[in-house]
Amino acid sequence: MSTTGFIFSNLNSNTLSLLTSDRTVAAIPFGCRYRLVDFALSNMVNSDITDINIIANYNFRSLVNHIGSGKDWDLARRSGGIKILSPGQEARQADAMVYSYRLEALRSIRDRISELTSDTVVLTDSDHLCNIDLNDVISFHKANDAEITFVTVQSKIGDATRDPQTAIQSDAKGRITDIVKSTGYDPDHPLRSIRLFVLSTEFLVRSLDEAVARNYHSFTDDIIMHSPEKRRFFSYCFHDVVIPVTTFLDYYRANILLTTDAGARNAILGKWERPIYTRVHNSPPTIYREGCCVKDSLIADGCLIEGTVENSVLFRGVKVSRGATVRNSILFGDTYVGQGSSLNCIVSDKNVVISDDQNLSGAGSTPFYIAKNKRI
Amino acid sequence: MYCKKECIAMLLAGGQGSRLYALTSKTAKPAVNYGGKYRIIDFPLSNCINSGIDTVGVLTQYQPLALNDYIGKGAPWDLDRIRGGLTVLPPYQNGKNADWYKGTANAIYQNIDFIRKNDPDNVLILSGDHIYKMDYAKMLDFHKEKKAACTVATITVPIEEASRFGICNTHEDGSIYEFEEKPKEPKNDQASMGIYIFTTSVLLEYLEIDENDPESSKDFGKNVIPNLLRSGERLFAYPFSGYWKDVGTIASLWEANMDLLAEKPELDLRTRFFRIYSRNSARPPQFIGKTAEIESSMISEGCTVYGTVRHSVISGGSVIGRDAVVCDSVIMDDVVIEPGAKVYYAIVDSESVIRSGVTVGSPDAGKERITVIAKGSDVNENEEGTVGTK
Repeated sequence: MSTTGFIFSNLNSNTLSLLTSDRTVAAIPFGCRYRLVDFALSNMVNSDITDINIIANYNFRSLVNHIGSGKDWDLARRSGGIKILSPGQEARQADAMVYSYRLEALRSIRDRISELTSDTVVLTDSDHLCNIDLNDVISFHKANDAEITFVTVQSKIGDATRDPQTAIQSDAKGRITDIVKSTGYDPDHPLRSIRLFVLSTEFLVRSLDEAVARNYHSFTDDIIMHSPEKRRFFSYCFHDVVIPVTTFLDYYRANILLTTDAGARNAILGKWERPIYTRVHNSPPTIYREGCCVKDSLIADGCLIEGTVENSVLFRGVKVSRGATVRNSILFGDTYVGQGSSLNCIVSDKNVVISDDQNLSGAGSTPFYIAKNKRI
Repeated sequence: MYCKKECIAMLLAGGQGSRLYALTSKTAKPAVNYGGKYRIIDFPLSNCINSGIDTVGVLTQYQPLALNDYIGKGAPWDLDRIRGGLTVLPPYQNGKNADWYKGTANAIYQNIDFIRKNDPDNVLILSGDHIYKMDYAKMLDFHKEKKAACTVATITVPIEEASRFGICNTHEDGSIYEFEEKPKEPKNDQASMGIYIFTTSVLLEYLEIDENDPESSKDFGKNVIPNLLRSGERLFAYPFSGYWKDVGTIASLWEANMDLLAEKPELDLRTRFFRIYSRNSARPPQFIGKTAEIESSMISEGCTVYGTVRHSVISGGSVIGRDAVVCDSVIMDDVVIEPGAKVYYAIVDSESVIRSGVTVGSPDAGKERITVIAKGSDVNENEEGTVGTK
């Protein structure tokens, strides 16, 4: 039986507000050439899930632009393929609202969900990066005859998050015995949800009906956390690398991690059997001029490097002029760094121009963000 | 479906490119890797779409597997169309006989039905052997303005090399009065680029004549063009200026790659205007490690560099190990240069491995002695690479 994928494009955008002023979370650029949604999409495509819906709410123009026909993910299909579901469904109603919870988003497309012919559904946000074979999760889900399977990671001592995360306790076979919300490491609930779920379609439809009948809004609060021990809820613990990108600092560190940690880089980007697909730009290869010095950096095609680049992530079309130095920074597409300028711990959005002899620095704990199209 | 086109292109991509030796033993020349992420055929195909020509027949013959695989349905060049688009035209069998393409003119002759089906006013004949950016629409305007039967694109070449080309001798208005294929004593330096626009009716008529001539070698330059001239048809030379490179030899292929490394390359691949498209394989970004030293080079997606790269072009997915040195070389896709290996003045074809301790080529070899490592080679110590040119 087939599986249908749903990706929520814009949950939790408030914690990434710098980067989401004119784009959805799913469309945030990441790792030189990707957008966050590419990871969720590629995981699905690489697991033979080719009927995928992205549930958008607002600011999704750049997402629509990125996805196009879906051809670059092999999702331009007659049957299935990719669809971006805009929030138009309820817009005519007087109380039309843009969803802020996963359940509201699903309620808004309830008619589509009730038409599904697949028996399994994968739901995911786009803010946890991993390279996972979903077939393994789906097999686990089916073998357990589960209603819902949470993909989880082991939380570690010292883990702390600003917002409460779903912390899970399970028995030896993965059956969930308790779910709580926690902002730190909780020894009684050592598993943390990465907001990637496999559901039986029947359970999803039933839950949505119930949500409408009782006017529920939150998937976690109103459905999941109601005596989970009595349900067939399971946890699939994923042991490979998972990088959360839920805050701006997370986002910055996740990018820099790819330059410093070969293990993380290969686990996410370097699996040849499960490549991460993205929109093709046809940029020419990057040019390294005489006198440049590049160390520990991840660089997209289409760049021109004359200066020094260390521990940085350069997106397509970045130019680093002669005598310029870029350290610990993330430069989005077409950023221009003028001669003799020096950048440290900077996140520059698209098309930023930094003129000659500027000295800009943030700190590793508070990187400095430069907004799109800005000239300095 | 009937859909009249003003101009369609016929791209001759069946050439063996025998002077590229090991590089074309398993691959047709148009599919040879160039410039870090391109194949030679990307240039004429991108030129077509950038010139508004959306119907292209690609004539294949020699080792078409890699080429067919690469061009697919033409999607990378936006040529997967409902009306028009890209069509691969291999030699085929018909009622009486089955024939290979015997020459450039014969190849087009065998596909007259494809031309008729599209019913174009003009037919653009291209080859898949050159690296250049050209707006064919301007040439088509010229062709129409001159009311020419056939227009030949020409380029100025050094006079001492002119005898390698087809030379067009023209009147002041650009009309050709004489066409000499590889003349011993060239009268001028205007060489044919092997790019022709024919008014369709003229093309069909002269292909028929040429086909029925048992003496003919079925070649545009040798037979069809001189025949048109003899019959008094209006032939014009369209002068093209800009970068144009025949990459038919190891030295010229190497040189064309090195041309991209100039401070201001004559062929600018970085402009957004008239972009060259290629098939992309979802590779991760390139990673440059702590020990890497890179200078005057071009590196593509998916590469990992820990060693030294100087004045070289490195294609997608290649790995340059620690303390490895790559100088003045062209490294094609998915090559591994193991730690400590050294590569000088070489072209290393895809999927080869140069083992630790091996030195390929020598630092003073120069462009006339380029070492060629064939696709998928495993170069161990004690083993010499295949030397293509001496």
